[in-house]
Amino acid sequence: MKIPFIQNNVPTNQLVRYSILFYWSIFWLFNIADKIIGGSLFLWVGRDRFAQFQKFFASAGLESPAIANFALIVAAGLEVFAFVFFTGALIYFLKKKLETTRTWFFIGIVLTLITFTIFSIGDHIFGDRFELLEHTLFWFLTLFSWLAFIRLENSSETEKMVINKKQLVLVSVISLMLVTTTCFSIFSYNYNFFSRRTDALTAEPVGENIYKVSFPFLGGSVVFEKTIDQFKTENPTKKINHIYTVPNPLRLKKADGLIFYIMTEDKL
Amino acid sequence: MKEKYILRFSILFYWTFFWGLSVLDKIIPDVHHLWVGKDFFALFVKFFGSLGLKDPIFATIALAFISSLEGLNFVFYLLASINFLKGKESLSQKWFFRAIFTSITLFSLFSIGDQVFGDRFQLLEHGLFWLILIASWVLFKYISSSDGKTLEFKVDKGLKIAIVIGLLITSAASISIIDFSNKTFSNVSAPVNGIEVIEDVYKFDFPFLADKLVWETTINTFKENHPELKINYIYTGPSELNSKKKTHMLLYVFTEKVKSIKDN
Repeated sequence: MKIPFIQNNVPTNQLVRYSILFYWSIFWLFNIADKIIGGSLFLWVGRDRFAQFQKFFASAGLESPAIANFALIVAAGLEVFAFVFFTGALIYFLKKKLETTRTWFFIGIVLTLITFTIFSIGDHIFGDRFELLEHTLFWFLTLFSWLAFIRLENSSETEKMVINKKQLVLVSVISLMLVTTTCFSIFSYNYNFFSRRTDALTAEPVGENIYKVSFPFLGGSVVFEKTIDQFKTENPTKKINHIYTVPNPLRLKKADGLIFYIMTEDKL
Repeated sequence: MKEKYILRFSILFYWTFFWGLSVLDKIIPDVHHLWVGKDFFALFVKFFGSLGLKDPIFATIALAFISSLEGLNFVFYLLASINFLKGKESLSQKWFFRAIFTSITLFSLFSIGDQVFGDRFQLLEHGLFWLILIASWVLFKYISSSDGKTLEFKVDKGLKIAIVIGLLITSAASISIIDFSNKTFSNVSAPVNGIEVIEDVYKFDFPFLADKLVWETTINTFKENHPELKINYIYTGPSELNSKKKTHMLLYVFTEKVKSIKDN
């Protein structure tokens, strides 16, 4: 007995094409939201694009915020229209108007290519090689998305998403076991160790007037502040001269979290 | 206009600018007005220095050789683009192949260098560029042979609605961007306010816009506002202490009261 995975027996090709349209619509929607919001808010961190653009242009000698604003508005305009055309393509696709979908998706792809080309030119000018790689990868993904989209349209693939009942039961049982084990482990870790997010750490003496503090991965600025406070309370005769953060090459790759040494001297 | 024509032009345009600007980056060393770029000479000197070849002549020769190849490479892309714009697609494809072949040779050389100098991140970067170049060639060829559909775009009701929605969202985004800029631009020079998180220890949460000028202003303002305190030590919080990753910087200022120093 075969059970349809999707009620309407949608061919795999159509699901992938739908995913491509959905991905690019959401991609640009959230980029636009990031530009509209600007800074960090409750439930949204995003990236301060104004600060990023301002720093880029200031590094090239253009310190007026008007230039960063203008560049950001041009970028936002391109992103907005890319979003509108991708979303339009998605709507037409759901309405099964495939020719119109293709045209709208193509306009979205061209706008996306223009956006990433402009960003890449900027990366050269501002000397940001990491962003150049990032934008080139996105540029390529855009081209590849188009090719995949039209190839799936022409493909004669008619496979439907159907799963045999026996396999479905087996997959469900194994998945349930894995999900249960994973959830138990995660909740247990949260219950037992979340206090590491806020608990003060003990400074371990490793030499004369030198104390070592090893941070757990959960630790942040609160742990740092509480640790220093506790250290000062426990060592009222010591004065902190210097705090040395162990650089990455001295840490055991990913096994060590932040480590710092507190250097002190005796108060007179 | 045919879809394949637009996409092939996009590929040529991208790589022509990519290599043109790479060559320009080599011609313009150091930071200038309207150009920051990357200091490849310093990078090469450090790489060769790490091998024990401290004489700058080695780095100079290597950079000159690489730059020459990049220049030649750029000319190939330029010829491919010019022929493409003239409608000579076959000739354009030939030049584009030469350009791609030179580019992948360059990235192969870079990758060899990365292995010799032990820079695994650059190896990944160059490997990815190498892959994208090959894929660009495959896409360029594939689009040409498989897809000759003409772009048909009717100015119908749907398009008009899309343009209106696009303009409205762009206007909203523009207003928001200008408003945010007006509200936060003062962060470029305004001092950051410190919070006393522990007795005699002050925390400063620097915004992303802040730079060295803000640091100087902040410390001077703090000293003016707290004449009773002496700064003993300033600690820059490492990234592990930041919850917002790259968007800000934490600074801790350790102080003691001047009175207590005098008493001692």
